[in-house]
Amino acid sequence: MRILATVLLFLAFSLEITLTSIPLVFILLVAFVPFYRNNFMFFLAFLFGLLLDFFAFRDVGISSIFFVSFIFLMLLYQSKLEISTNYFVFIATFLGSFLYIFIFSFQGYIILEALTSAVFGILIFNIFKRIKNAPDKFHLSNS
Amino acid sequence: MKKRSSQVSLFLIFIFLSLLFYFAFQDNLLKPISRPLQNVFSPVFSAVYSGFSGITNFDSASKVKELKDENAALTEKLVDQTKLQQDNQALRDQFETVTPKSTILVPAQIVGAPGFIPGISFPETFTINVGSKDGIKAGEAVILKNNLIGRVTKVNYYLSSVLLVTNENSSFTATTMETNALGIVKGQGGGEMILDNVLLSDNLKAGDIVLTKGDVGASGAGFMPGLIVGKIVSISKNASDLFQKAKIESLVDFSKIDTVFVVNSQ
Repeated sequence: MRILATVLLFLAFSLEITLTSIPLVFILLVAFVPFYRNNFMFFLAFLFGLLLDFFAFRDVGISSIFFVSFIFLMLLYQSKLEISTNYFVFIATFLGSFLYIFIFSFQGYIILEALTSAVFGILIFNIFKRIKNAPDKFHLSNS
Repeated sequence: MKKRSSQVSLFLIFIFLSLLFYFAFQDNLLKPISRPLQNVFSPVFSAVYSGFSGITNFDSASKVKELKDENAALTEKLVDQTKLQQDNQALRDQFETVTPKSTILVPAQIVGAPGFIPGISFPETFTINVGSKDGIKAGEAVILKNNLIGRVTKVNYYLSSVLLVTNENSSFTATTMETNALGIVKGQGGGEMILDNVLLSDNLKAGDIVLTKGDVGASGAGFMPGLIVGKIVSISKNASDLFQKAKIESLVDFSKIDTVFVVNSQ
């Protein structure tokens, strides 16, 4: 699953640099946090933040700081809020994307892009939830 | 509690590393890492963008024919202008004035054109696969068959970022071909641009071609005069305003091109 997450992030990174201004890497990071509530997310956020800055002609390190800080905030609130729900993923993706687009790539569609990002976030979160639960369902049906 | 403290420690470590990379980048210490990375990823981006362009440009044959016909008519007009330029050059030689620096065209493939909805939204910038290793410098013009595309704004070793003429942050002086009205072309975003700050006493004509006035600096970077910006599609003129303005449409569909040329000054 970690390999799948990394491969998906590479794909999102390629698409974000070449085709779209929607923050795909950020959306995936937020959608993966409910499944990987550990230090692996910090490493992914740091690595892909650096790569994004290299190829988007930004000051290297800025996106990493943003991603790592946001992931840390999400993990900080996991004991107080239920982060494995569609509501939390939607709000976190919307607010985070809004801030990210405002800081890094504001082109006039900020609300629409943030809403689109939130919808993508929920889609990816639910797809990943099904993939993760699929082996468990198979095991239950056999027992 | 132990888990929380390890998360805090990791958070602080990665923030520190990010800041380290940030300051190293400012001091150009990351070149040994950034160049191999760009070398590895540049073909990947090129493949992704080419693949997507191939799918979206599948049904563009009729549009291409329309553009070719229009281009032929415009070329005829430009031939007349070129003759005038040659006469002008002969006069300059006669009076031994300083000739402009020689320029070469560096072909570049577009490897990135991020937009809100790929293939539908107008891109605001291009990423091209030439950089400082090819002698590209910030401020150089990017063209396609005498049509102005934009200006190089940021340069890496292998890649460069191009600010399109339709970008909100783009503005430059221009003149109309038939009526010689002088104004400033300002990008409006979303693939649109206007010719603004045109005196009320000047004549603007719908269908007239807008050309760059020329703002080449001492380093040779900038827009050469005579590059095609677009054609006037509508005019807004009110006697109560200080200036009149016109909406310009580029002759090039920025979402359909995949190769451009950088005007590299030597």
